Amino acid sequence: MMQELIAQVVNGLSLGSIYVLLVTGFNLLLLVAMIIHFSYPQVVVFSMYVSWVVLRLTGDNLLLGVLAGVVSSVVINLLSAPLFQKVMQKRGEVDINATMVLSMGIGMIITDVLSHSFNEGLPVAFPDSLSSNTPIVRLGLISIQTGQVWSLGVGIVAVALFFLLLYRTRPGRAFRAIAEDPNGARLVGIPLLRTGLYSYALTGVLGGIIAVLLAMLLGSATPGLGEQVAHKVLAVSIIAGLGNLVGGLVVGLLLGVLEAIVQGYVSGSWSNAIAFVIMLVVILVRPKGLFGTRL
Amino acid sequence: MPLELYYFLSITAVNILLSWALYLPYRVAHLHFITVANMAISGYAAAWLVMSLHVPFGWALLAGFVLGGLIGWLVSLFIGDAPTFAVVIVGFTFIFIARTVIENTPAVGGSMGIFGLPNIGGSPETHRATIMAILAAMLLLVGFLLHRFEHSRLGRAASAIFVDKDLAASLGVDIRGLGRLLQTVSCTIAGGTGVLYGFIYKSFHLDFFTFGLVGIAMTIIFVGGYSTPWGTVVLAPILYGVPLLFPPAIQEWRIVIYGAALVLVLVLKPEGFVTRRFVVSVESFLSGATRKKR
Repeated sequence: MMQELIAQVVNGLSLGSIYVLLVTGFNLLLLVAMIIHFSYPQVVVFSMYVSWVVLRLTGDNLLLGVLAGVVSSVVINLLSAPLFQKVMQKRGEVDINATMVLSMGIGMIITDVLSHSFNEGLPVAFPDSLSSNTPIVRLGLISIQTGQVWSLGVGIVAVALFFLLLYRTRPGRAFRAIAEDPNGARLVGIPLLRTGLYSYALTGVLGGIIAVLLAMLLGSATPGLGEQVAHKVLAVSIIAGLGNLVGGLVVGLLLGVLEAIVQGYVSGSWSNAIAFVIMLVVILVRPKGLFGTRL
Repeated sequence: MPLELYYFLSITAVNILLSWALYLPYRVAHLHFITVANMAISGYAAAWLVMSLHVPFGWALLAGFVLGGLIGWLVSLFIGDAPTFAVVIVGFTFIFIARTVIENTPAVGGSMGIFGLPNIGGSPETHRATIMAILAAMLLLVGFLLHRFEHSRLGRAASAIFVDKDLAASLGVDIRGLGRLLQTVSCTIAGGTGVLYGFIYKSFHLDFFTFGLVGIAMTIIFVGGYSTPWGTVVLAPILYGVPLLFPPAIQEWRIVIYGAALVLVLVLKPEGFVTRRFVVSVESFLSGATRKKR
């Protein structure tokens, strides 16, 4: 019983670390570019598919596969930046709700393109060299797999580097200044547009890394994966408090562990519903989040 | 009536009703996607009543309206004045939960769905005529109520909330109360529409109530124009009808076309094609013409 619980907690931490990365990227765009990029996870799933195609074309060349994932994520993010900027300019003021609808439109396109253009809409499986499910530690019921260790390890390093960048570097200070007070940041000479573009590029890099980690952890991808993850990321972000980076870190890990534990004790599709019900209750009771909104 | 025309008209009517159900709470900046979950819940519940308990269709339809309204009201107690993104996420969560529960409930057919719903009135012709009559009545009734709402104090209060919540509150607008009212009415409309949606095809399947449906409704509202209910009326038949004229290979890409249209309109013409200013000018033109006639 105890061993099963520990195994599920390890599972949950590796899944949670991916949620944390996704929520961090989502929050960065929210705070600096001032957009609700609802379909950011769909961009990540698109990058998974690009990686899959490159892996197939290059005979499972991992380096090229990973690079393709990161580059495609950065490119999509940078291409969508002018659209978001245009929407905000047209409205005359920052309207994050309009950016959310725009992002949903982009998500619709990505999901449908994936279901028509890749593998005839069927799930794609990543090669064993990337999604190795070989256990590296086996202790009774506890089995820790390569993909889990990688996602947890890279997740921790990526979040640490990201927070280091945010709190210990000049560009990081610029990001935080814009998040705190855009007009004040402009007054002290911080270029809003350029810094906003950096945030798109940075979250693109983060998205590419997440795509590779998801491929390692899940071993496959479906066109609908982005919608499911998008929903959870927005939920984590709201439960934590929109724009609250530390809150996102805590709630992302908690959701991963909760989901894994529920999956361990409840059959397949019901487990998702239980996680959703808990999320729903928290959102209904505290719509402004557990840690407070930073907007 | 030819079968193709029946499906075109009835699905267009459903799309208009669903879009109006979404439009109404969006007047106070709430994107209330729980409407799609409510369509599924009420539809399946009505189908179960008809198939298992042999309840007459009329009562099942009424039950659909009541169930939709009840769910909407209960949820609105918590999110009547919540921010837009919280309302969005509650809606999506409800869709996921509703789908999972239906998928795992054998009484409503699980993942197979419910098939072979009886014809209303006995024959297929009477069934189609009855569905069309109910849809037409609903369109007229909801359209009339929306028209009255737009020209009432409540409509002006909703506009004030949409523009600036703080300003509306300082003017004495009951933000939470209006949010609750609009969410409840929206869910009531969605409940009844869900029942009719399934009875058009005489079956219910989870594939009817996907995020694709949310996308279609969102495209209709934002491309048509989110500041007036008329945009929906103009765009719903175009959006559903025009792809039918294309070859099947292009029809498969209709969600991409909808998504592209949504993105383009938000970027180039954020208010959509039918704007409030346009509707006001048409209304004043028509009232001027009427005065001249007199």
